[in-house]
Amino acid sequence: MDTSRSYLEPSSFSKKMAAAIIIVYAVITLIPISWMVMTSFKNVDSAISYPPEVLFEPSLEGYVNLFTNRSRQSQEYLDSLPPPKNWYEELVRSREMVITGPSKFLGRYSNSMIIGFGSTFASVFLGALAAYAFSRFRVPLKDDLLFFILSTRMFPPIAVAVPIFIMYRKLGLGDTHLGMIILYTVVNLSLAVWLLKGFMDEIPKEYEEAAMIDGYSRLQAFFKVVLPQAMTGIAATAIFCMIFSWNEYAFAVLLTQFNAQTAPPFIPTIIGEGGLDWPAIGAGTTLFLLPVMIFTIILRKHLLRGITFGAVRK
Amino acid sequence: MAKVELKKLFKTYNKKIKALEDINLTIEDGQFFVLLGPSGAGKTTTLRCIAGLEKIDSGDVLFNDENITHDQPASRDVTFVFQQYSLYPHYTVYENLAFPLRSPMRKLPEQEIKNKVEKIAEMLKITNKLKNKATQLSGGEMQRVAIGRALVREPNIYLMDEPLSSLDAKLRETLRVELKNIQLNLNATILYVTHDQAEATTLADKIGVLKEGKIVQIGTPEEIYENPNSIYVSQRLGSPKINILPGSLFKLDNNIPKIGLRPENIELGDGPYEGRVISIENLGSETVVAINFQDNEILASIQGSYKSSINEKINFDFNTNKVLKFDNIDQRIYER
Repeated sequence: MDTSRSYLEPSSFSKKMAAAIIIVYAVITLIPISWMVMTSFKNVDSAISYPPEVLFEPSLEGYVNLFTNRSRQSQEYLDSLPPPKNWYEELVRSREMVITGPSKFLGRYSNSMIIGFGSTFASVFLGALAAYAFSRFRVPLKDDLLFFILSTRMFPPIAVAVPIFIMYRKLGLGDTHLGMIILYTVVNLSLAVWLLKGFMDEIPKEYEEAAMIDGYSRLQAFFKVVLPQAMTGIAATAIFCMIFSWNEYAFAVLLTQFNAQTAPPFIPTIIGEGGLDWPAIGAGTTLFLLPVMIFTIILRKHLLRGITFGAVRK
Repeated sequence: MAKVELKKLFKTYNKKIKALEDINLTIEDGQFFVLLGPSGAGKTTTLRCIAGLEKIDSGDVLFNDENITHDQPASRDVTFVFQQYSLYPHYTVYENLAFPLRSPMRKLPEQEIKNKVEKIAEMLKITNKLKNKATQLSGGEMQRVAIGRALVREPNIYLMDEPLSSLDAKLRETLRVELKNIQLNLNATILYVTHDQAEATTLADKIGVLKEGKIVQIGTPEEIYENPNSIYVSQRLGSPKINILPGSLFKLDNNIPKIGLRPENIELGDGPYEGRVISIENLGSETVVAINFQDNEILASIQGSYKSSINEKINFDFNTNKVLKFDNIDQRIYER
């Protein structure tokens, strides 16, 4: 046994305990998600069978149903059709249906992408500029302004739903991508400013002063020297903003309908025959989970230090 | 390189705290000028005002007789070596050195940048570190690169804010010598801030002594050492520190309130004054003996080693010509 460990280091027993707790926690949080992923690969019958099937024959019916619109036809009509051209047509025919066209899912999904990434970029960009100004300049009423910015998050955003609904209708921003980007940016901005200000405060001002003496303007110094230094904070802030605008449901239901509807209000409306089409909903949510997951994994190495910012100083 | 002049410079922080008061200073082209003073005396503020990082309340900054008081830092063409945090951590050493040359003010062709960077890297002996990230360097290497980033340009003036203070003693000495050589080779105008008297005396062509935001004396290191105009200035240079004693203790011609006695001007062995040994410190090439003389502590520094023991009676004397005389408000009394 290694006896040379420092007293400050946790013992191997407490390390094992910690690992066990983390595993239990991970299992608990992963059960619903894995159930959802499993459902997406079930067929319509096994998805609602009782007792629930843990082992099942995988099927892509959910994904096919997610991406297509179908209609039920009589057996005679189906027999009169030429043989199915590909596997998904065959799958739909076996359910006595024909594909009538693509569903709206892809459009809703790309709306979510545009609005999610658009508002994340806008929040982080504006937040970084504001945070830099608050961190470096003598802004009149600085503390009051910062408190005001924070106070916009002291009520749930949905509390102002009615005024926003009326405003958006008058301004013609309802059901537009721009409108949703602006809305999510406004909600995220206070978080972005506060988070990023903490990071900017930690960057010594000598860096940009050196850059300014080296022949750069303050704005150039900001982009060349300060922003790369703030990458950790930017990554963490971007993830928080992305998660919020990606998942946001209430405003999306209220303000979008045809043109700019995002995936969250769309997925629950996937209705199958004689009940909810659970495999399709499972498929929709599984695909919906992917971008945030990938985004977080890409920025993961910045995230740990990002979330514990302020706690660990150089 | 340029001649740099400061005229009637005033600077306050937050409209209350006086940082600089009526600073008048001329740094000749090619001069190594050292600002000496304790922390809070306004040394760094002076540098920052010349660089344009601080707005001054009133006064003028002139480069080669041209008034640049209201110019942006980027257009002043100066370099600044900071005490710390001096490298851009996300860049390699090469990129750090090339950074000022790639700025919109200069935009040199890459080949020329490469030549300049390599020349400087060779001079500072960091050629093999060029590909390293700035964060993968030791403290000494970092500061070399920081100095290198200043040297790749030929600015109006090099401003250096205690560039060696964060280094260990040995490295500090080596870099000090290197810095002086570089300055002589380039005939560079340098304004160097320090509170380290060894740096001041070895590097400076001229020293300016700052006290609470005012310049109290300007002169060569010899002048500042041998001919200080006040007790404050006399205490800036010399190790061990100058002895400041009441004049009444000694047989001097007239009533002198205070005298300053450099430790090396005291002769031990015999003489009219008798005290007791408090401590003996052997520093190798010299020995510092502390003497209690009528309840005043006097430091004497003797070449080589000195044999004595604590509490032993000791006689001493000094050359009256080497005594610095001061009045009641700590100003120098000059002989006619």
